[in-house]
Amino acid sequence: MNEQKRVFHSGNELAALAAKQIRYHVMGYYPITPSTKIAEYLDELKAAGFSDVRMIPADGEHSAAGICYGACTAGGRVFNATSANGLLYALEQLPVQSGTRFPMVMNVACRTVSGPLSIKGDHSDIMYTLNTGWIILFAKNPQEVYDMNLCGLKIAEAVALPVIVAFDGFFTSHQERVAMIFENDEDVRSFVGETYIAPYHVLDPENPITIGAYMNEPDIMNNKYQLYLAMEEARHVIPQVFQEYAGITGRQYSVVQGYGMEDAQAALFILGSSYETAKEAVDQLRKEGLPVGVFTTNVLRPFPKMELFQLLSPKLTGILAADRQDSYGAEGGNMSLELKAMLQEHASSIKVISRIYGLSGKDFYVEEAVSMLRQAYAASLKQEVEVFDYSGRYQGEEEADRQQYFAPITLSRSTPGITSAETLEDGSIKIKGGTVRDGLQMPRRLAPGHGACPGCGIPINVNLLLKGIEGNVVLLFHTGCGMVVTTPYPKTAFKVSYVHNLFQSGAPTLSGIVAAFEERQRRGELPEGDDFTFVMISGDGGMDIGMGAALGTALRNPRMILMEYDNGGYMNTGYQLSYSTPKGAKTSTSHVGPAQYGKTMYHKDTPQIFSATGIPYIATVGENQPADFIKKAAKAARYAQSHGMAYIKALSACPLNWNDNPRYERSVIDAGVNCCYHPLYEIENGITTLSYDPEEKGKKIPVAEFFKMMGRTKHLIKPNFEEIMEDVQREVDRRWERLKARAESPVL
Amino acid sequence: MQHETIPLPKTNAYGFYEIRLESIGGLGANLSGKILGELGALYLRYNTANFASYGSEKRGTPVKSYIRYAEPDKEIRISSPVEKPHLIGIFHERLAGKTGVLAGVDEETAVVVNTAKSPDEIRREFQMHGGVLTCIDGMKITVEEKTRMNMIMLGALCKASGFLPFECLEEIIRETIGRKYPAMLDSNLRGLRRGFEEGTTKAFPNDETYPYVPFTEERRSLGWDNAPLGGVVVTAGSTVSNDVSASREGYVPLFHQEKCIQCGMCDTACPDMVYQFVKGEWKGKPAMVNLGPDYHHCKGCLRCVEVCPTAAITAGIEYEQDIWKQHVRNQDLIVERLEFEDLGANSIVNEEKY
Repeated sequence: MNEQKRVFHSGNELAALAAKQIRYHVMGYYPITPSTKIAEYLDELKAAGFSDVRMIPADGEHSAAGICYGACTAGGRVFNATSANGLLYALEQLPVQSGTRFPMVMNVACRTVSGPLSIKGDHSDIMYTLNTGWIILFAKNPQEVYDMNLCGLKIAEAVALPVIVAFDGFFTSHQERVAMIFENDEDVRSFVGETYIAPYHVLDPENPITIGAYMNEPDIMNNKYQLYLAMEEARHVIPQVFQEYAGITGRQYSVVQGYGMEDAQAALFILGSSYETAKEAVDQLRKEGLPVGVFTTNVLRPFPKMELFQLLSPKLTGILAADRQDSYGAEGGNMSLELKAMLQEHASSIKVISRIYGLSGKDFYVEEAVSMLRQAYAASLKQEVEVFDYSGRYQGEEEADRQQYFAPITLSRSTPGITSAETLEDGSIKIKGGTVRDGLQMPRRLAPGHGACPGCGIPINVNLLLKGIEGNVVLLFHTGCGMVVTTPYPKTAFKVSYVHNLFQSGAPTLSGIVAAFEERQRRGELPEGDDFTFVMISGDGGMDIGMGAALGTALRNPRMILMEYDNGGYMNTGYQLSYSTPKGAKTSTSHVGPAQYGKTMYHKDTPQIFSATGIPYIATVGENQPADFIKKAAKAARYAQSHGMAYIKALSACPLNWNDNPRYERSVIDAGVNCCYHPLYEIENGITTLSYDPEEKGKKIPVAEFFKMMGRTKHLIKPNFEEIMEDVQREVDRRWERLKARAESPVL
Repeated sequence: MQHETIPLPKTNAYGFYEIRLESIGGLGANLSGKILGELGALYLRYNTANFASYGSEKRGTPVKSYIRYAEPDKEIRISSPVEKPHLIGIFHERLAGKTGVLAGVDEETAVVVNTAKSPDEIRREFQMHGGVLTCIDGMKITVEEKTRMNMIMLGALCKASGFLPFECLEEIIRETIGRKYPAMLDSNLRGLRRGFEEGTTKAFPNDETYPYVPFTEERRSLGWDNAPLGGVVVTAGSTVSNDVSASREGYVPLFHQEKCIQCGMCDTACPDMVYQFVKGEWKGKPAMVNLGPDYHHCKGCLRCVEVCPTAAITAGIEYEQDIWKQHVRNQDLIVERLEFEDLGANSIVNEEKY
């Protein structure tokens, strides 16, 4: 037995500890709730000097999966973690990983798949992976998350297949429990093997290989049969690994588990943390004399058909299969369907009824488990019971609240004539008016009572933008703080029409709206002159993961505005680094510690990236110069109404994660502008114009003056970070000099 | 440090001693939950669980944290919220009236509230059925000791529990906070001790003055039969019915109309559309005129104070002011009555009153 120690940690933290002890070569990841803490905690351990797992923050889950795949083909031991739509975004890569037979471990903290967007836990994501060729282990509590991570890698390498360790988002990922872990990392490594000798990898010049040749029939049949054989082999390997693990830890696992099943006449089948809860219900009903039990599987792939059947007592005549997801139209979630298929193989006459429960993290109480067991019991007695239903749904009240609080913002109300535009000879647009005073006449398209933090910059920037846009607007928000705080169902802060879509599809979605509008107007379905300005709002996070789609959209040049509020981080998920986070900044995935100084990359220069797409208008704005902001919004609107796409970037304050006082945020933005970290300029039809030159005004300050105002960067002022600070200053200077040169020359 | 195991003084039918913390984001209730969890798990060797209610964890939004202790050999199989706590900590008195805050509380429950008010006043405000109520002026101690609210609450909760050993709590603070923020350690330990020592406690037996509030699952008027398809929301701007006053941390902007030059800078700095501008006249000319702030939607960030060029907006301490005299109703509303849903009781405003 290897020495163990008692800890109090969440499932996510335990997954990270397992990864640190295994000493993976690479973790490629992209933050998504509720799995984010795994990368955060590993990064924290790394900054403190306890872990040397190479952490690569990808620009999206698809890329994260790519990074992992690449690292595997280079012979590395590789680790990943994701959830929900992140998993679905990476889904395409999963069969690549398994089909070319590279083992790795990915944790999935299960969460509801959007939309509507929900961050809570259910199993709608993990069931998409059933057909990917990955082995899937399901952990029911934090201890099992740790143990399955260690067993998982050993299983993966034994059969050359990748492994998913799945567990309930929040219930298991975030709940802290007492757990036992290996005292010594060496013991972990001697269990999983000190190094992995990949049968094939690309770093052996003596043995050049080709990975991923193009393959049609008849070869795919044989290739997939090999995969099938590996899954079958896993049926034997998994119990062996569990056995070996029990020998060194005393913690014995099996592929399936039952409670009260020996003599049960009726049973509940349920996955994850709910299995534990249902055991309480079994105890209660057993006291009443009801012969009921509950059973579960710890392995979804390969599906342990035989072991599950062996759990069923000969007396068993009724099962309620409860799924935390639905395979819509099949009258059952996936586990329910597979259970039925398994029983069919044995020509069993056991009655199976299916219930969908606990979607989007709806709590599972003992009372609900009791009710399910009673229904299973009724089914076992051949009583009349619904074969399929949603547990916990309700109809709604007849007198539901549909009160309107505001009059619609009509075209005439939203056209106060704050700004006027004139097209000059060179084709550029000149905006007149747009003072802050005039701006007060614009009806507010956003209502108060939203949930943004005190002093948040997002509503401020959205409001300033909309003051400059006359007439009808349709808004589209990417996922992010701006979206989450404004639309908590059943309420919305928007007084005008609004659409949300996920990161990779915000810009394409709005461009689709533009296309349908144009086409419907052309066909006479919408009146001439009833025009709209189409506005998309994204955070800098959305401009990381959604960059490709946004650039693709820009290249098509639809008539729309894209405003990015750049607060330099993934604030909605607890401040992980974005590519726009300042270099050196402290975030929850770029900790500062003895072994690490914060973020290692420079902040992304997004306006310059958009400039290369050739869209007609690009501008940077700051709330510290509100009149300039409103004018630029008005100009963007003119371009979006008649020419094509406009991109606007606002530096946006985040008091919570910048770790500064909300009261003084305007002066922080002012410093950001004056130090040229966020210079104010326009690129109109390819011509760069500085809107504000702090040098000329005698207001230019070092970047350090800006950085010291924020808790996230003020450590960089200390002498030990001098080099980093100088480096950032050099980069900001380089960009500023280049910008000035562009402003001076019409050809640049 | 490992303390000798103390038998749990009481447990529910599942064998758990349960704690619930009711707070709003930013006051450190989650960290408090974690510390109470570690205290149970690592120092007292209880089987322990700690988790929080999750959602948008922005500053000022309601959060709940749950702690379960069981004897070392007792499995914790349940992951659902604490319905009937033995000990409850309420981190902000503005949570009075908020749905579910006092769910499951009766004379068997030890209740700790952060407030300057007396137990009798708090019982009235919270309409508490029964309970052993401790009031602790956390705000005052926080300011005096330059510490955080959760330290004071932890001290008070420890005392109210009647069995958690204070010296272990001190040890955890030394181990966790002390290691991460050594400069803060002494003030935190002082806050912890004053929280432990300075509460005022009074026991209220269950009586019929206020009814018992059972724990219920959240339910809405919209269900599968009447919700617009696809989750569409058809009530534009409906967040206006949220009162966000509880986000304020003691300070409010005060508006001095006579100094206002109608420049609109406050409106460019306010994330919450608080200032109510209407068409009117200023210096004999038509202008958008600032009537003043809508305090239901002010989160107290004070950005407006900083951008006002004429000191027409200044910062004030909320409890020293009668802000509702200055309050201006949202001028865009077309409804006469607005029933607010908020962190601070079910206040109702109507046009007659404001």
